[in-house]
Amino acid sequence: MGLLDLLRPRKAAPAPAAKSELFDDEFQRKLEMLALVSRRVFSGRQRAERRSKKKGSGVEFADHRDYVPGDDIRSVDWNVYHRFGRLLVRLYEEEEDLSIYFLLDCSASMGFAGSQKFDQARRLVASLAYVGLANLDRVTVLAMTEGTLERLPTTRGKGRIFTVFRFLSGLLPGGTTDLAESLRAFAAQHKRRGLAVLVSDFYDPAGFEHGINVLRYEGFEPYVIHLVDRREAEPELDGDVLVVDCETGDEREVTVTPGVLARLGSAYDRYLGDIERYCTQKRVPYLAADVTVPFDEIVLRALRRGGFLH
Amino acid sequence: MTLAGLPLAWLVGIGAGAAAVTVLLYILKLRRRPVAVAFAPLWHRVLGDRDASRLFSKLRRWLSLALQLLLVLLLCLALGDPRPSHELGSGRHLVLLIDASASMQATDEKPTRLDAAKNVARKLVRGLGGSDRALVVAMGAVPVPLSTMSDEATELLAAVDRVHAADTRADLGRALELASDALHGLPNGEVVVLSDGVLTPPEPPPDLGGAALRFAPVGKSGKNLAITAFSVRRYPLDKSRLEVMTELANLDSERAEVELSLFGDGAIIDSERLVIEPGARLSRFFPDVGGARHALEARLRYADGRADALPADDRAYALVPERRRAKVLVVTPGNTYLEAALLLDEYLDVTDLKPSQYPPRGAFDATIFDGVAPPPADASGGLVYLNPPAEGGPVKLGKTITGFGFDTWDKKSPLLRFIAPGDVQVATGHALDPSPGDKIVGASDDGPILVAGNRSGRPFVVLGFDPRQSDLVLRPAWPLFVLNAIDSFSESDTSYVSAYRTGEVWRVPVPPGAREAELTAPDGSTHAVPVEDGRAVTFGDHAGFYRLTSGSDATRVVTEFAANLSDLDESRILPHKTLTVASRQAAAPAVGSGGVRREVWLWLLAAVLLLSVVEWITYHRRVTV
Repeated sequence: MGLLDLLRPRKAAPAPAAKSELFDDEFQRKLEMLALVSRRVFSGRQRAERRSKKKGSGVEFADHRDYVPGDDIRSVDWNVYHRFGRLLVRLYEEEEDLSIYFLLDCSASMGFAGSQKFDQARRLVASLAYVGLANLDRVTVLAMTEGTLERLPTTRGKGRIFTVFRFLSGLLPGGTTDLAESLRAFAAQHKRRGLAVLVSDFYDPAGFEHGINVLRYEGFEPYVIHLVDRREAEPELDGDVLVVDCETGDEREVTVTPGVLARLGSAYDRYLGDIERYCTQKRVPYLAADVTVPFDEIVLRALRRGGFLH
Repeated sequence: MTLAGLPLAWLVGIGAGAAAVTVLLYILKLRRRPVAVAFAPLWHRVLGDRDASRLFSKLRRWLSLALQLLLVLLLCLALGDPRPSHELGSGRHLVLLIDASASMQATDEKPTRLDAAKNVARKLVRGLGGSDRALVVAMGAVPVPLSTMSDEATELLAAVDRVHAADTRADLGRALELASDALHGLPNGEVVVLSDGVLTPPEPPPDLGGAALRFAPVGKSGKNLAITAFSVRRYPLDKSRLEVMTELANLDSERAEVELSLFGDGAIIDSERLVIEPGARLSRFFPDVGGARHALEARLRYADGRADALPADDRAYALVPERRRAKVLVVTPGNTYLEAALLLDEYLDVTDLKPSQYPPRGAFDATIFDGVAPPPADASGGLVYLNPPAEGGPVKLGKTITGFGFDTWDKKSPLLRFIAPGDVQVATGHALDPSPGDKIVGASDDGPILVAGNRSGRPFVVLGFDPRQSDLVLRPAWPLFVLNAIDSFSESDTSYVSAYRTGEVWRVPVPPGAREAELTAPDGSTHAVPVEDGRAVTFGDHAGFYRLTSGSDATRVVTEFAANLSDLDESRILPHKTLTVASRQAAAPAVGSGGVRREVWLWLLAAVLLLSVVEWITYHRRVTV
């Protein structure tokens, strides 16, 4: 019996979906490990390794951390720089509980051709949600597709993790991607501002910037987790084919040659670079989540890098 | 330029149809394999660069279409077989007479003279102009055309390859007649003789019309030894013993020391060294030869081991005459002289029968009817009638004659071998009235008295008088006559068995009733030969041992015989550098530029091939797509 089993509500209805292959025992064991790691982070007062966005009164100094490009230059501790020659930013503890919104892209491209992006995304959301719940943050999970939202009501406490599992297990990829429209609806429905973790492959024909900007303009703190499947840039194709977009049905006749494949790889790399560069410029935390990397490694990277936990 | 192939109207139709199909196929969009991708805008970005050069892409596609149409055009032109106008109608018509006689097997040209002649023929074929046509003829004992009058180099070269030398002489006269017939009515005719010149001038010379006579000589040396005759016989009075006769010739200008070897059934049984003067012929007898039961072979070579130029006449073949017990039926009321004559040959199995007991059971090689002529039984063999009655005999009886003898007789007839019947006196008998086809072997002034012939495939001999009414029975000629008659029927006579000579029509005796026979050549090949008048008829062109199988399964008979070149003229292989026919000396042939064909369609096809390769490469390298 794992630690999570102790947290399972005794009188609650059995949750068969929670024992799906996606969130199997192995996954749950890793989740417990992540919870321990996060607790150690808290006890070491390193919880504020992410750059703070909090300003004004009621905010108490907590720690320093290394400066990273995109940090507000006003938060740099110039005294430390004067004495030690290192660029450190001051961190503050927040006094109020945090609302964490997990915005999961459920468009067809996330589940394209047996891609592992959707599974990876759900595992990441579950993991980070568990960390948030363990920190007694208010966690809300929303599934976005074709400009609409499917919502798991806000919850808190570790014991609610199985509700999150069930919700995530019941999701299926499909439809088109319209991040801006979905996030506008999200912002309208959620007046309480907080951390908005956007989990997507950002295959939005309208452009990836719009969705991120909606979060920024509406006062949320966007946190971008970009699902990356390198195989999409290296398809095993040759000769004359008709490429069809899996979401929009858009068609294009192509004669695939090694040269075309090389240019496709370059275009893919440029697209990834554009998203990361944009996030950096706008001081939005960005994390590329490759489907070939184990989810727990990505979560640990997120925890260590900061920006997710206060 | 004139079209020698399909007419222009056809070409336009074919070209328009092919071009229409090509354009249609080009216009029809290729149904591409649909492939789902996660994010099509990425592909749009990749192909955006190409969109920028869409005009150039379109131009490349049009270039590809133009290339296809050009291929169609070139193929249509090739079908038209375009030729320069000045070439049409002025083409030559050549008849290539390639000597395939025995002398062309000479090895003074490497590997043989025939191969040298064939090389010259190939050069001539490859040098043919676009309007030239040629006919290839193998000039052996019978000229054989091996191709049509064609301008197809492939066909002509294949025909040249099919020319093989035979162990015969070449018949130049018949070959020229064939060439004359082939060139009849054709302009610019040329007869090209490719030979060593060892040819017999035709008499009378054929009329070649306006055709030019050309001669391409081959051959370098005339150094040759030859076996010009080779035969074996049994001694007439002791048929268990053999005698072999050979005749050798030295056709070199120097005295030759030679070694003559005799092989019996594959093993050497005698060998001796001889000296032959230049240009001389030498006969050599091997008396009382032992060690051979079936086949004999003579081999000739220089004593020092050198080889002469023509191996074909250095070997000769013969079969030992079969010596089997002949079965003879004598139907007679009683004839002591006849019985005595038959006792002289121990190899005769004689059955005496009274006329009233005829016919008996069994098969016989010969039947002697003495004073009677009953209807002969099926297996009677050859028939000898002595003083037959007026009815029943194969020959009608003429008037009765008295006091006569043999005033004339056929000295070459095997019936009278070793016999001089001129002083035979006969008291009384009948003149014979032979039918057309019968042969009068002996006759008195009053009419024929000894006739031979054939009735329904069965040979017969008729003597027009009773031997006892003459002094013939008191002479040695009597038993010789009886044995000669029997031997002629049983094919085991005592003459020198000269092998058949190549280059002639062979008539090999087969058992009565056989309608077809199968001949197995020395190289093992078999073919059916027809039977006419009791003999299988075939044309022999190779030396060696032959097997002739005749009769049905129950009565199958295998006859073996040998064949030799035995042609002194063909063995004189000194090549001639000129050829003169009817006081007209042949000129050298005009050899064109070998290996270069001047047909335009070939170049058109080459262009099509080249363009196809370019199209293939550009397509697969995605240059034109």
